[in-house]
Amino acid sequence: MNRVRTGIRANVSTFLRTPLNVVLALLLPVVVIEGWGQAMAGLPTMPTVEAIPIELGRLLGAIFGVAIIAGLMGLAQMISARAADRRLVQTGYPPRTLLATRLATLGGVTVVVAAVNYGVLLLTISPEAPVLTFVFLVLAGLVYAFLGALVGALLPRLFEGSLVVVFLAMMDAFLSGDSPLAADVPEFVEYFPLYQPKELLQEAMFQGTYTTGDLGFVAGYLLVLLVLVTAVFGVTMRTSGGWSA
Amino acid sequence: MNRTTTAFSIGIKEQARNYVLVALLVVLPVSFITLAFAVTQDVEMPVRTLVDGETVTVMRGMPEVHGVIMTPITSALIAGLAGLFLMREAKDTDGRLAVAGYRARQVIAARFGVLAAITLIVTGVSVGVMLIDFQPEHLWWFVAAMLVISVTYGLIGMLVGAVLDRLAGMWLMLILPMLDIGLFQDPLFIQSEPDWWMKLFPGYWPVRVMVDTGLTTDVDTALSLVWATGYLLLVAVLTIGVYYRATRAK
Repeated sequence: MNRVRTGIRANVSTFLRTPLNVVLALLLPVVVIEGWGQAMAGLPTMPTVEAIPIELGRLLGAIFGVAIIAGLMGLAQMISARAADRRLVQTGYPPRTLLATRLATLGGVTVVVAAVNYGVLLLTISPEAPVLTFVFLVLAGLVYAFLGALVGALLPRLFEGSLVVVFLAMMDAFLSGDSPLAADVPEFVEYFPLYQPKELLQEAMFQGTYTTGDLGFVAGYLLVLLVLVTAVFGVTMRTSGGWSA
Repeated sequence: MNRTTTAFSIGIKEQARNYVLVALLVVLPVSFITLAFAVTQDVEMPVRTLVDGETVTVMRGMPEVHGVIMTPITSALIAGLAGLFLMREAKDTDGRLAVAGYRARQVIAARFGVLAAITLIVTGVSVGVMLIDFQPEHLWWFVAAMLVISVTYGLIGMLVGAVLDRLAGMWLMLILPMLDIGLFQDPLFIQSEPDWWMKLFPGYWPVRVMVDTGLTTDVDTALSLVWATGYLLLVAVLTIGVYYRATRAK
Protein backbone atom coordinates (compact mmCIF):
# COMPACT_ATOMS: atom_id res chain seq x y z
CA MET A 1 0.00 0.00 0.00
CA ASN A 2 2.88 2.29 0.87
CA ARG A 3 4.37 1.78 -2.57
CA VAL A 4 1.11 2.75 -4.24
CA ARG A 5 0.81 5.89 -2.14
CA THR A 6 4.43 6.83 -2.80
CA GLY A 7 3.98 6.27 -6.53
CA ILE A 8 0.84 8.39 -6.72
CA ARG A 9 2.45 11.17 -4.70
CA ALA A 10 5.49 11.14 -7.00
CA ASN A 11 3.32 11.24 -10.14
CA VAL A 12 1.15 14.08 -8.85
CA SER A 13 4.12 16.17 -7.77
CA THR A 14 5.75 15.65 -11.18
CA PHE A 15 2.62 17.12 -12.79
CA LEU A 16 2.33 19.99 -10.32
CA ARG A 17 6.05 20.82 -10.58
CA THR A 18 5.28 22.44 -13.94
CA PRO A 19 2.89 25.28 -13.07
CA LEU A 20 2.20 25.93 -16.77
CA ASN A 21 0.60 22.48 -17.01
CA VAL A 22 -1.79 23.46 -14.27
CA VAL A 23 -2.51 26.88 -15.77
CA LEU A 24 -3.20 25.38 -19.19
CA ALA A 25 -5.37 22.61 -17.74
CA LEU A 26 -7.48 25.37 -16.18
CA LEU A 27 -7.46 27.83 -19.10
CA LEU A 28 -7.93 25.58 -22.12
CA PRO A 29 -11.43 24.40 -21.14
CA VAL A 30 -12.72 27.99 -21.08
CA VAL A 31 -11.35 28.66 -24.57
CA VAL A 32 -12.52 25.35 -26.06
CA ILE A 33 -16.01 25.40 -24.54
CA GLU A 34 -16.78 28.97 -25.54
CA GLY A 35 -15.09 28.72 -28.96
CA TRP A 36 -16.93 25.49 -29.79
CA GLY A 37 -20.29 26.82 -28.57
CA GLN A 38 -20.08 30.10 -30.47
CA ALA A 39 -18.85 28.45 -33.68
CA MET A 40 -21.52 25.74 -33.78
CA ALA A 41 -24.25 28.26 -33.04
CA GLY A 42 -22.94 30.63 -35.74
CA LEU A 43 -23.48 28.23 -38.63
CA PRO A 44 -26.03 29.65 -41.09
CA THR A 45 -29.27 27.68 -41.33
CA MET A 46 -29.90 26.07 -44.72
CA PRO A 47 -32.60 23.61 -45.84
CA THR A 48 -30.71 20.53 -44.58
CA VAL A 49 -28.22 22.23 -42.26
CA GLU A 50 -29.18 23.57 -38.90
CA ALA A 51 -27.03 25.36 -36.38
CA ILE A 52 -27.11 23.57 -33.05
CA PRO A 53 -28.11 25.44 -29.88
CA ILE A 54 -25.21 27.21 -28.20
CA GLU A 55 -25.72 25.15 -25.00
CA LEU A 56 -25.23 21.90 -26.93
CA GLY A 57 -22.19 23.39 -28.69
CA ARG A 58 -20.67 24.24 -25.31
CA LEU A 59 -21.41 20.77 -23.99
CA LEU A 60 -19.69 19.20 -27.01
CA GLY A 61 -16.73 21.53 -26.48
CA ALA A 62 -16.53 20.38 -22.86
CA ILE A 63 -16.53 16.69 -23.83
CA PHE A 64 -13.79 17.26 -26.40
CA GLY A 65 -11.80 19.43 -23.98
CA VAL A 66 -11.87 16.85 -21.19
CA ALA A 67 -11.12 14.00 -23.59
CA ILE A 68 -8.12 15.58 -25.26
CA ILE A 69 -6.54 16.92 -22.07
CA ALA A 70 -6.95 13.55 -20.35
CA GLY A 71 -5.91 11.56 -23.44
CA LEU A 72 -2.64 13.42 -23.91
CA MET A 73 -1.99 13.21 -20.19
CA GLY A 74 -2.44 9.43 -20.29
CA LEU A 75 -0.05 9.24 -23.21
CA ALA A 76 2.60 11.39 -21.53
CA GLN A 77 2.26 9.48 -18.24
CA MET A 78 3.08 6.18 -19.91
CA ILE A 79 5.87 7.32 -22.23
CA SER A 80 7.78 9.89 -20.23
CA ALA A 81 8.55 7.52 -17.35
CA ARG A 82 9.02 4.29 -19.31
CA ALA A 83 12.75 3.97 -18.64
CA ALA A 84 12.36 4.88 -14.98
CA ASP A 85 9.47 2.44 -14.61
CA ARG A 86 11.55 -0.38 -16.01
CA ARG A 87 14.30 0.35 -13.54
CA LEU A 88 11.74 0.31 -10.72
CA VAL A 89 10.51 -3.09 -11.94
CA GLN A 90 14.09 -4.37 -11.97
CA THR A 91 14.48 -3.27 -8.35
CA GLY A 92 11.41 -5.26 -7.35
CA TYR A 93 8.46 -2.92 -7.90
CA PRO A 94 5.59 -5.12 -9.24
CA PRO A 95 4.47 -3.82 -12.70
CA ARG A 96 0.81 -3.94 -11.62
CA THR A 97 1.49 -1.70 -8.63
CA LEU A 98 3.37 0.68 -10.88
CA LEU A 99 0.51 0.72 -13.39
CA ALA A 100 -2.00 1.19 -10.59
CA THR A 101 -0.17 4.31 -9.40
CA ARG A 102 -0.11 5.70 -12.93
CA LEU A 103 -3.79 5.02 -13.57
CA ALA A 104 -4.85 6.28 -10.15
CA THR A 105 -2.98 9.54 -10.78
CA LEU A 106 -4.55 9.78 -14.21
CA GLY A 107 -7.99 9.17 -12.73
CA GLY A 108 -7.48 11.84 -10.06
CA VAL A 109 -6.25 14.48 -12.50
CA THR A 110 -9.06 13.60 -14.92
CA VAL A 111 -11.62 14.26 -12.18
CA VAL A 112 -10.03 17.66 -11.57
CA VAL A 113 -9.98 18.47 -15.31
CA ALA A 114 -13.63 17.40 -15.60
CA ALA A 115 -14.49 19.55 -12.58
CA VAL A 116 -12.91 22.59 -14.23
CA ASN A 117 -14.82 21.96 -17.46
CA TYR A 118 -18.01 21.39 -15.50
CA GLY A 119 -17.46 24.64 -13.61
CA VAL A 120 -17.06 26.53 -16.89
CA LEU A 121 -20.24 24.92 -18.23
CA LEU A 122 -22.16 25.91 -15.09
CA LEU A 123 -21.44 29.58 -15.79
CA THR A 124 -23.78 29.45 -18.78
CA ILE A 125 -25.92 26.31 -18.48
CA SER A 126 -28.05 24.80 -15.71
CA PRO A 127 -28.01 21.01 -16.10
CA GLU A 128 -31.19 19.08 -15.29
CA ALA A 129 -29.15 16.49 -13.36
CA PRO A 130 -25.96 18.21 -12.10
CA VAL A 131 -24.33 15.20 -10.43
CA LEU A 132 -24.98 12.86 -13.35
CA THR A 133 -23.65 15.45 -15.79
CA PHE A 134 -20.42 15.73 -13.83
CA VAL A 135 -20.04 11.96 -13.49
CA PHE A 136 -20.54 11.42 -17.23
CA LEU A 137 -18.02 14.15 -18.03
CA VAL A 138 -15.53 12.29 -15.81
CA LEU A 139 -16.35 9.06 -17.67
CA ALA A 140 -15.64 10.73 -21.05
CA GLY A 141 -12.29 11.90 -19.66
CA LEU A 142 -11.45 8.47 -18.23
CA VAL A 143 -12.14 6.74 -21.55
CA TYR A 144 -9.63 9.00 -23.29
CA ALA A 145 -7.16 8.90 -20.39
CA PHE A 146 -7.05 5.10 -20.63
CA LEU A 147 -6.96 5.26 -24.41
CA GLY A 148 -4.00 7.66 -24.23
CA ALA A 149 -2.33 5.30 -21.75
CA LEU A 150 -2.88 2.38 -24.13
CA VAL A 151 -1.36 4.29 -27.05
CA GLY A 152 1.50 5.32 -24.77
CA ALA A 153 2.12 1.70 -23.79
CA LEU A 154 2.09 0.62 -27.45
CA LEU A 155 4.11 3.44 -29.05
CA PRO A 156 7.43 4.34 -27.52
CA ARG A 157 7.66 8.00 -28.61
CA LEU A 158 5.54 11.02 -27.75
CA PHE A 159 5.46 12.44 -31.29
CA GLU A 160 3.88 9.36 -32.85
CA GLY A 161 1.63 8.79 -29.85
CA SER A 162 0.38 12.37 -29.82
CA LEU A 163 -0.43 12.19 -33.55
CA VAL A 164 -2.55 9.09 -32.98
CA VAL A 165 -4.41 10.49 -29.96
CA VAL A 166 -4.95 13.93 -31.51
CA PHE A 167 -6.32 12.65 -34.82
CA LEU A 168 -8.45 10.00 -33.15
CA ALA A 169 -9.96 12.64 -30.87
CA MET A 170 -10.60 15.04 -33.78
CA MET A 171 -12.32 12.37 -35.87
CA ASP A 172 -14.23 11.18 -32.85
CA ALA A 173 -15.41 14.69 -31.98
CA PHE A 174 -16.46 15.33 -35.59
CA LEU A 175 -18.34 12.05 -36.05
CA SER A 176 -19.70 11.47 -32.55
CA GLY A 177 -20.34 15.12 -31.83
CA ASP A 178 -23.55 15.76 -33.78
CA SER A 179 -21.70 18.08 -36.15
CA PRO A 180 -24.24 19.94 -38.28
CA LEU A 181 -21.76 19.65 -41.17
CA ALA A 182 -21.90 15.86 -41.24
CA ALA A 183 -24.34 13.54 -42.99
CA ASP A 184 -24.26 9.81 -43.73
CA VAL A 185 -22.23 9.17 -40.60
CA PRO A 186 -21.41 5.43 -40.65
CA GLU A 187 -23.11 3.23 -38.07
CA PHE A 188 -19.82 2.05 -36.56
CA VAL A 189 -19.41 5.52 -35.08
CA GLU A 190 -21.44 4.17 -32.13
CA TYR A 191 -18.29 2.28 -31.12
CA PHE A 192 -16.13 5.40 -31.12
CA PRO A 193 -14.84 6.32 -27.63
CA LEU A 194 -16.85 9.52 -27.21
CA TYR A 195 -20.14 8.45 -28.76
CA GLN A 196 -21.82 6.83 -25.74
CA PRO A 197 -20.39 9.26 -23.15
CA LYS A 198 -21.80 12.08 -25.30
CA GLU A 199 -25.22 10.39 -25.39
CA LEU A 200 -25.17 10.00 -21.61
CA LEU A 201 -24.09 13.59 -21.04
CA GLN A 202 -26.62 15.06 -23.41
CA GLU A 203 -29.44 13.14 -21.75
CA ALA A 204 -28.34 14.05 -18.23
CA MET A 205 -27.79 17.68 -19.13
CA PHE A 206 -31.04 18.36 -20.98
CA GLN A 207 -33.47 15.72 -19.67
CA GLY A 208 -32.06 14.81 -16.27
CA THR A 209 -32.10 11.08 -17.02
CA TYR A 210 -29.75 8.39 -18.34
CA THR A 211 -30.02 5.11 -20.22
CA THR A 212 -28.65 2.11 -18.33
CA GLY A 213 -27.56 0.42 -21.58
CA ASP A 214 -25.39 3.40 -22.54
CA LEU A 215 -23.83 3.48 -19.08
CA GLY A 216 -23.13 -0.26 -19.25
CA PHE A 217 -21.50 0.22 -22.65
CA VAL A 218 -19.17 2.92 -21.31
CA ALA A 219 -18.30 0.80 -18.26
CA GLY A 220 -17.51 -2.14 -20.55
CA TYR A 221 -15.42 0.13 -22.78
CA LEU A 222 -13.41 1.27 -19.77
CA LEU A 223 -12.93 -2.31 -18.60
CA VAL A 224 -11.68 -3.47 -22.00
CA LEU A 225 -9.23 -0.54 -22.15
CA LEU A 226 -8.03 -1.33 -18.63
CA VAL A 227 -7.39 -4.97 -19.52
CA LEU A 228 -5.53 -3.95 -22.70
CA VAL A 229 -3.41 -1.33 -20.91
CA THR A 230 -2.53 -3.83 -18.19
CA ALA A 231 -1.56 -6.50 -20.71
CA VAL A 232 0.54 -4.19 -22.91
CA PHE A 233 2.17 -2.51 -19.91
CA GLY A 234 3.08 -5.94 -18.51
CA VAL A 235 4.75 -6.88 -21.79
CA THR A 236 6.72 -3.63 -22.05
CA MET A 237 7.93 -3.95 -18.46
CA ARG A 238 9.12 -7.54 -18.86
CA THR A 239 12.76 -7.60 -17.84
CA SER A 240 13.65 -11.30 -17.73
CA GLY A 241 16.09 -12.55 -20.33
CA GLY A 242 18.43 -9.59 -20.30
CA TRP A 243 18.34 -5.83 -20.54
CA SER A 244 15.25 -4.35 -22.10
CA ALA A 245 15.52 -1.70 -24.76
CA MET B 1 30.07 17.02 -46.96
CA ASN B 2 29.94 20.09 -44.70
CA ARG B 3 28.75 20.06 -41.10
CA THR B 4 25.25 21.39 -41.85
CA THR B 5 24.65 18.71 -44.47
CA THR B 6 25.97 16.04 -42.10
CA ALA B 7 23.69 17.13 -39.26
CA PHE B 8 20.74 17.46 -41.66
CA SER B 9 21.21 14.02 -43.21
CA ILE B 10 21.59 12.42 -39.76
CA GLY B 11 18.36 14.14 -38.67
CA ILE B 12 16.52 12.90 -41.76
CA LYS B 13 17.88 9.36 -41.36
CA GLU B 14 16.78 9.37 -37.72
CA GLN B 15 13.21 10.25 -38.71
CA ALA B 16 13.13 7.96 -41.76
CA ARG B 17 14.32 4.99 -39.70
CA ASN B 18 11.19 5.39 -37.59
CA TYR B 19 8.72 3.49 -39.78
CA VAL B 20 5.79 4.14 -37.47
CA LEU B 21 6.27 7.88 -37.85
CA VAL B 22 6.66 7.68 -41.63
CA ALA B 23 3.49 5.59 -41.86
CA LEU B 24 1.56 8.01 -39.63
CA LEU B 25 2.67 11.02 -41.70
CA VAL B 26 0.92 9.41 -44.67
CA VAL B 27 -1.97 7.47 -43.10
CA LEU B 28 -3.30 10.25 -40.85
CA PRO B 29 -3.78 12.93 -43.54
CA VAL B 30 -5.23 10.35 -45.93
CA SER B 31 -7.79 9.05 -43.45
CA PHE B 32 -8.69 12.39 -41.89
CA ILE B 33 -9.16 14.36 -45.12
CA THR B 34 -10.91 11.50 -46.92
CA LEU B 35 -13.28 11.09 -44.00
CA ALA B 36 -13.99 14.83 -43.92
CA PHE B 37 -15.06 14.77 -47.57
CA ALA B 38 -17.00 11.52 -47.21
CA VAL B 39 -19.32 12.56 -44.39
CA THR B 40 -19.83 16.26 -45.13
CA GLN B 41 -23.31 17.09 -46.40
CA ASP B 42 -23.42 17.89 -50.10
CA VAL B 43 -25.29 21.17 -49.83
CA GLU B 44 -24.56 24.73 -50.96
CA MET B 45 -23.50 27.09 -48.18
CA PRO B 46 -22.86 30.85 -48.08
CA VAL B 47 -19.17 31.76 -47.94
CA ARG B 48 -17.70 35.26 -47.47
CA THR B 49 -14.71 35.87 -49.71
CA LEU B 50 -13.11 38.43 -52.02
CA VAL B 51 -14.35 38.70 -55.59
CA ASP B 52 -12.94 41.52 -57.78
CA GLY B 53 -11.62 43.22 -54.67
CA GLU B 54 -15.01 43.29 -52.94
CA THR B 55 -16.03 41.09 -50.00
CA VAL B 56 -19.14 39.25 -51.14
CA THR B 57 -21.07 36.15 -50.18
CA VAL B 58 -21.01 33.33 -52.71
CA MET B 59 -22.67 29.92 -52.57
CA ARG B 60 -20.32 26.93 -52.60
CA GLY B 61 -20.66 23.22 -51.84
CA MET B 62 -20.05 22.44 -48.18
CA PRO B 63 -17.65 19.52 -48.92
CA GLU B 64 -15.42 21.90 -50.93
CA VAL B 65 -15.45 24.55 -48.20
CA HIS B 66 -14.84 21.94 -45.54
CA GLY B 67 -11.98 20.51 -47.62
CA VAL B 68 -10.37 23.94 -47.88
CA ILE B 69 -10.31 24.06 -44.07
CA MET B 70 -9.57 20.44 -43.15
CA THR B 71 -6.51 20.22 -45.42
CA PRO B 72 -4.54 23.04 -43.72
CA ILE B 73 -5.69 21.91 -40.25
CA THR B 74 -4.18 18.49 -40.90
CA SER B 75 -0.82 19.75 -42.06
CA ALA B 76 -0.66 22.54 -39.46
CA LEU B 77 -1.35 20.07 -36.65
CA ILE B 78 1.31 17.62 -37.78
CA ALA B 79 3.90 20.31 -38.58
CA GLY B 80 3.22 21.99 -35.22
CA LEU B 81 3.74 18.78 -33.28
CA ALA B 82 6.84 18.00 -35.37
CA GLY B 83 8.29 21.43 -34.51
CA LEU B 84 7.46 20.92 -30.84
CA PHE B 85 9.25 17.58 -30.58
CA LEU B 86 12.19 18.65 -32.73
CA MET B 87 12.78 21.53 -30.36
CA ARG B 88 12.44 19.32 -27.26
CA GLU B 89 14.96 16.93 -28.80
CA ALA B 90 17.24 19.80 -29.76
CA LYS B 91 17.24 21.15 -26.21
CA ASP B 92 18.58 17.79 -25.06
CA THR B 93 21.20 17.20 -27.73
CA ASP B 94 22.16 20.27 -29.75
CA GLY B 95 24.02 21.90 -26.89
CA ARG B 96 26.45 18.99 -27.18
CA LEU B 97 26.95 19.72 -30.89
CA ALA B 98 27.86 23.28 -29.94
CA VAL B 99 30.39 21.95 -27.43
CA ALA B 100 31.80 19.75 -30.20
CA GLY B 101 32.49 22.83 -32.31
CA TYR B 102 29.34 23.25 -34.37
CA ARG B 103 28.34 26.84 -35.03
CA ALA B 104 24.83 27.83 -33.98
CA ARG B 105 23.79 28.63 -37.54
CA GLN B 106 24.88 25.17 -38.72
CA VAL B 107 22.81 23.39 -36.06
CA ILE B 108 19.84 25.69 -36.66
CA ALA B 109 19.99 25.21 -40.44
CA ALA B 110 20.08 21.43 -40.02
CA ARG B 111 17.13 21.33 -37.62
CA PHE B 112 15.06 23.73 -39.71
CA GLY B 113 15.88 21.57 -42.73
CA VAL B 114 14.44 18.49 -41.00
CA LEU B 115 11.31 20.44 -40.05
CA ALA B 116 11.00 21.73 -43.64
CA ALA B 117 11.30 18.17 -44.98
CA ILE B 118 8.56 16.85 -42.67
CA THR B 119 6.35 19.84 -43.51
CA LEU B 120 6.85 19.31 -47.24
CA ILE B 121 5.88 15.65 -46.97
CA VAL B 122 2.79 16.36 -44.88
CA THR B 123 1.70 19.26 -47.11
CA GLY B 124 2.25 17.16 -50.23
CA VAL B 125 0.25 14.22 -48.86
CA SER B 126 -2.55 16.48 -47.58
CA VAL B 127 -2.93 18.36 -50.87
CA GLY B 128 -2.62 15.11 -52.84
CA VAL B 129 -5.47 13.51 -50.89
CA MET B 130 -7.58 16.65 -51.19
CA LEU B 131 -7.15 16.67 -54.98
CA ILE B 132 -9.01 13.35 -55.21
CA ASP B 133 -12.22 15.03 -54.04
CA PHE B 134 -11.67 18.70 -54.76
CA GLN B 135 -9.53 20.73 -57.19
CA PRO B 136 -8.86 24.34 -56.14
CA GLU B 137 -9.43 26.96 -58.84
CA HIS B 138 -5.78 28.08 -58.56
CA LEU B 139 -3.81 25.10 -57.35
CA TRP B 140 -0.37 26.70 -57.00
CA TRP B 141 -1.61 29.71 -55.06
CA PHE B 142 -3.45 27.29 -52.81
CA VAL B 143 -0.31 25.17 -52.36
CA ALA B 144 1.77 28.28 -51.59
CA ALA B 145 -0.66 29.30 -48.84
CA MET B 146 -0.65 25.71 -47.53
CA LEU B 147 3.14 25.75 -47.30
CA VAL B 148 3.17 29.11 -45.57
CA ILE B 149 0.63 28.08 -42.93
CA SER B 150 2.27 24.68 -42.36
CA VAL B 151 5.77 26.11 -41.96
CA THR B 152 4.42 28.86 -39.71
CA TYR B 153 2.81 26.28 -37.44
CA GLY B 154 5.96 24.14 -37.53
CA LEU B 155 7.96 27.11 -36.28
CA ILE B 156 5.33 27.98 -33.68
CA GLY B 157 5.64 24.37 -32.49
CA MET B 158 9.38 24.96 -32.08
CA LEU B 159 8.74 28.16 -30.11
CA VAL B 160 6.26 26.36 -27.86
CA GLY B 161 8.74 23.51 -27.43
CA ALA B 162 11.35 25.96 -26.19
CA VAL B 163 9.04 27.52 -23.62
CA LEU B 164 6.69 24.76 -22.44
CA ASP B 165 7.23 21.16 -21.43
CA ARG B 166 6.01 18.26 -23.58
CA LEU B 167 2.52 17.86 -22.12
CA ALA B 168 1.60 21.54 -22.10
CA GLY B 169 3.14 21.87 -25.56
CA MET B 170 1.03 19.04 -26.95
CA TRP B 171 -2.15 20.57 -25.50
CA LEU B 172 -1.36 23.94 -27.01
CA MET B 173 -0.31 22.63 -30.41
CA LEU B 174 -3.57 20.74 -30.69
CA ILE B 175 -5.91 23.45 -29.49
CA LEU B 176 -4.26 26.38 -31.32
CA PRO B 177 -4.61 25.18 -34.96
CA MET B 178 -7.99 23.66 -34.23
CA LEU B 179 -9.43 26.91 -32.87
CA ASP B 180 -7.56 29.15 -35.30
CA ILE B 181 -8.12 27.36 -38.62
CA GLY B 182 -11.10 25.18 -37.71
CA LEU B 183 -13.25 27.75 -35.93
CA PHE B 184 -12.02 31.35 -36.14
CA GLN B 185 -11.04 31.31 -39.84
CA ASP B 186 -13.65 28.84 -41.10
CA PRO B 187 -15.93 30.78 -43.48
CA LEU B 188 -18.81 28.45 -42.60
CA PHE B 189 -18.77 29.55 -38.96
CA ILE B 190 -17.65 33.17 -39.34
CA GLN B 191 -20.22 34.80 -41.59
CA SER B 192 -19.42 38.45 -40.81
CA GLU B 193 -16.25 40.54 -40.63
CA PRO B 194 -13.90 38.67 -38.24
CA ASP B 195 -13.13 40.37 -34.92
CA TRP B 196 -9.75 42.12 -34.73
CA TRP B 197 -8.28 39.47 -32.43
CA MET B 198 -9.11 36.69 -34.90
CA LYS B 199 -6.88 38.45 -37.43
CA LEU B 200 -3.90 38.09 -35.09
CA PHE B 201 -3.89 34.29 -35.40
CA PRO B 202 -1.39 32.63 -37.77
CA GLY B 203 -4.16 31.19 -39.92
CA TYR B 204 -5.91 34.44 -40.83
CA TRP B 205 -3.94 35.50 -43.94
CA PRO B 206 -3.18 32.05 -45.40
CA VAL B 207 -6.77 30.80 -45.00
CA ARG B 208 -8.06 33.96 -46.75
CA VAL B 209 -5.83 33.00 -49.67
CA MET B 210 -6.99 29.38 -49.62
CA VAL B 211 -10.69 30.27 -49.52
CA ASP B 212 -10.22 32.79 -52.35
CA THR B 213 -7.98 30.71 -54.62
CA GLY B 214 -9.73 27.46 -53.80
CA LEU B 215 -13.31 28.57 -54.33
CA THR B 216 -13.30 31.53 -56.75
CA THR B 217 -12.00 31.96 -60.28
CA ASP B 218 -10.00 35.17 -59.70
CA VAL B 219 -7.01 35.67 -57.44
CA ASP B 220 -7.81 38.61 -55.16
CA THR B 221 -5.60 37.80 -52.21
CA ALA B 222 -2.04 38.16 -53.51
CA LEU B 223 -1.45 40.81 -50.85
CA SER B 224 -2.75 38.46 -48.15
CA LEU B 225 -0.09 35.94 -49.17
CA VAL B 226 2.53 38.66 -48.72
CA TRP B 227 1.19 39.37 -45.22
CA ALA B 228 1.16 35.64 -44.47
CA THR B 229 4.79 35.40 -45.56
CA GLY B 230 5.65 38.40 -43.39
CA TYR B 231 4.02 36.68 -40.42
CA LEU B 232 6.04 33.56 -41.21
CA LEU B 233 9.29 35.55 -41.34
CA LEU B 234 8.50 37.19 -38.01
CA VAL B 235 7.88 33.80 -36.40
CA ALA B 236 11.07 32.46 -38.02
CA VAL B 237 13.18 35.28 -36.56
CA LEU B 238 11.66 34.71 -33.12
CA THR B 239 12.24 30.98 -33.37
CA ILE B 240 15.87 31.37 -34.41
CA GLY B 241 16.46 33.65 -31.43
CA VAL B 242 14.77 31.29 -29.00
CA TYR B 243 16.48 28.26 -30.54
CA TYR B 244 19.85 29.93 -30.20
CA ARG B 245 19.24 30.64 -26.52
CA ALA B 246 17.82 27.18 -25.82
CA THR B 247 20.66 25.20 -27.37
CA ARG B 248 23.79 27.29 -26.92
CA ALA B 249 26.64 25.64 -25.06
CA LYS B 250 26.51 26.45 -21.38
